[in-house]
Amino acid sequence: MQHLDPDRLVLLALSEEQEELTESDHLAQCAGCRRDLDEFREVAGLGAECQDVHDLPPPPERLWRAIESDIGRTRVREAPVTDLAERRIHRKPSRRWAPLIAAAAAAVLAIAGTVTIDRVLDGRRTETVTARATLSPLPTVSADARGSVRVLADGEMEIDVSNLPLTTGFHEVWLLDPDDPTKMVALGNLSDRPRVVLPVPPGTDLNRFRLVDVSDEPHDGNATHSGNSLLRGTLTS
Amino acid sequence: MSSDDELAERLRAGDEKALRTAYERHGAAVLYLAQRLLGNRADAEDVTQVTFVAAWTGRDGYDPQRGTLLSWLLGIARRKVVDRLRSAARDDRATETVRTQLAPSDDRETPERIVDRLVVADELGRLPEEQRRTLELAFYDDLTHPQISAVTGLPLGTVKSHIRRGMASLRRRWEVDGAAFGSRSAGPSRAL
Repeated sequence: MQHLDPDRLVLLALSEEQEELTESDHLAQCAGCRRDLDEFREVAGLGAECQDVHDLPPPPERLWRAIESDIGRTRVREAPVTDLAERRIHRKPSRRWAPLIAAAAAAVLAIAGTVTIDRVLDGRRTETVTARATLSPLPTVSADARGSVRVLADGEMEIDVSNLPLTTGFHEVWLLDPDDPTKMVALGNLSDRPRVVLPVPPGTDLNRFRLVDVSDEPHDGNATHSGNSLLRGTLTS
Repeated sequence: MSSDDELAERLRAGDEKALRTAYERHGAAVLYLAQRLLGNRADAEDVTQVTFVAAWTGRDGYDPQRGTLLSWLLGIARRKVVDRLRSAARDDRATETVRTQLAPSDDRETPERIVDRLVVADELGRLPEEQRRTLELAFYDDLTHPQISAVTGLPLGTVKSHIRRGMASLRRRWEVDGAAFGSRSAGPSRAL
């Protein structure tokens, strides 16, 4: 049995030439050649349609920015979920240490009290602290990076940081909802200073947005969280 | 141009630049598919957006052994289109909408056909320049081998072999990506 030559199949598929009688006979009997011809025909048909799609205009750039910003949000979600999960795991067995922690907290308050008094002696205004947080570095950040946060009664947040990694962008401070870390409030940036005071937007629910987050933001004009968190800590009153 | 394998590896490693490359390479095809299926530019852009975000979050699921990046992305896009039509139908409480929107006005415009066309076009773009040019003259301008030879100045034998090899490459790719799409990866969206 003489199968059809590939060149010949292509010519037939492109309808450039007609089947000869002997070829038709062979095609009627040979499933292999018939399949080859059918598939080449299909491909030739699709090839002709390619003209419509061969030079598609690129999608608008804003579409990419939207994708990028969604991805930034998923990264924020990815980071705290593990982070918080670990915290939850650790929190439970440590309950029996609660009295000890309370004592430690009291000690911290005592120290904080001293600071406040010092400030009064310095002639600076007295500040009532309504909540505070200790910021710890995320696993990707050097272990000596740290920070502390105090929320003052007048609605300002004082934040001290040290040993943050250098950035070509800037460091931004956020308040995240740990139960849904895609929800967040942007407070402002650290402006390369180790201590800044940022206003907390009036009406912000600090019981909900209690996770303080310091991120590294590139100068890309994208106002959403970059996903690159450096420090985190939970506010407690 | 980096291969799908390399791109897949970079994607899996969490390299966002790889996603950007995939977007530059295939974003237009995804948008085209969505627009043909939804018939609406705004919805098509939304689907393109969620497709690439899903590709990012599901990047571990892409296996270059099972198909090209393009067909994987088009598969995601098609499922997103179905999701969108279903939720639109739920909103309207009118399942009829789906049926009307999905009924192809022309038999060739099935989702499979659109995907096949995009896959073949992608492969055509990857062929060596002279092979691609020869095939385009045959496909788009309907020229015969001798006419192509006259237009390009290539010997008839060369035209023949370009067309034969080019057609074989397109067919292989279509069998792997196009046909796989319709029959082998028959998921719930097959009903579309």
